[in-house]
Amino acid sequence: MTTKKAVSMNDSTAANDAPDWGALLARVAENDDKAAFRAIYQHFAPRIKAYAINQGFSQHAEVLVQEVMTSVWRNADKYSESLASVSTWIFTITRNQRIDILRKLNRTRAEIVIETEDLWQIPTEDTTICSIQNLSTEKFVKAAIDKLPEEQMIALRKVYYEGKTHEEVAEELNIPLGTVKGRLRLSLQKLRVMFEAKEI
Amino acid sequence: MSAYHPDDMTLMNYAAGSCSIPESLAVAMHLCFCHDCRQHVKNLNHLGGALLETIKPASTDDDAFETLMSSLEPHDHSAPVKVKMEPTPNDRAIQHFTNPLLRYLPTSLADLPWQRQTKEISKFDLTSLVNVKGFQVALQKISAGAKVPKHTHKGFEYTVILSGGYSDELGVYHEGDFIARDASHKHSPTALQNEDCICLTVLNAPLKFTGWYRVLNPFMAWN
Repeated sequence: MTTKKAVSMNDSTAANDAPDWGALLARVAENDDKAAFRAIYQHFAPRIKAYAINQGFSQHAEVLVQEVMTSVWRNADKYSESLASVSTWIFTITRNQRIDILRKLNRTRAEIVIETEDLWQIPTEDTTICSIQNLSTEKFVKAAIDKLPEEQMIALRKVYYEGKTHEEVAEELNIPLGTVKGRLRLSLQKLRVMFEAKEI
Repeated sequence: MSAYHPDDMTLMNYAAGSCSIPESLAVAMHLCFCHDCRQHVKNLNHLGGALLETIKPASTDDDAFETLMSSLEPHDHSAPVKVKMEPTPNDRAIQHFTNPLLRYLPTSLADLPWQRQTKEISKFDLTSLVNVKGFQVALQKISAGAKVPKHTHKGFEYTVILSGGYSDELGVYHEGDFIARDASHKHSPTALQNEDCICLTVLNAPLKFTGWYRVLNPFMAWN
């Protein structure tokens, strides 16, 4: 297998013949396969870092990358295609690790504090949904994003992905706050309609 | 199946991980009861995955991979084959999403050392468990048929009903329902007649924030 070369980090256009990330994860879990892990790292680490920077993690961006990739290595055997695509799985790990880092930085006293993992659980239901359906969901979500008007997608991306408040988005785009809220509301409504139509 | 849900914006903020810890607790408790919202959060997680795929990658340090690799330990293959979690029949409502409070409560809901507020209302404070400045978090128990005095909220209040139900000027609420109230609401909830109502309430302190959006990221204040 020479999947490694197919996933150089500059190759962001390879979505159509993307490697089978699930199979690579299985190789990591079963054989401690370094080449497989390197392929995963080369694809995801630069994206996790970009996410971290967007979220305002300047000097901690690399820390987040290392934490997430460590978690991916350790939990590779827990990944199941029936739950999510690999990119969604890695996104949820990234989100939770980001919250964890922020909580640790912000913790003033040692007290019983509810674990991030208890609050942001990775859904484990719908065993009836097979992996093929999940992969099609991933494609579906990508298609759904493409259907949103660009101005709505920009607002949604800033709030969802960059952790910006509505006020910050309004200021950045130089548009009224009400317009930002309207675009977000519309984009979420459209996504919900598209998601629900798919489930029927 | 609950009838009152967090709105789309709240669910998106939850999936994005940009809501506060107390708020996420309220959403997570609702998810224990609500299949539809679990499904929607799952879809919104997929949105996060899709955004991760379409993001413009940043360059990482050249030696970062080797450094990381040297710190990782081989997987322990001697461990027994992973056990699939089989939901037990008793879990019913909660089997797909574990009640996030379970590990932290000293006993079951019924046996908690409730702190009596009035003859008919008692509470179990969770503020120190959640430990986020500016928030009050508690479980409230209202005796069947009892009425909570009329009040308004200076900030916002989220309520998730864990058992029983109540009604107020705006509706009737049952197990699993997620109710959001802000300063524009005045209400006097009355527990339903047939059983005690136990709910989780998350209140933000009125002074610190100007609008409820302001509370979404209190733990990001270091930024």
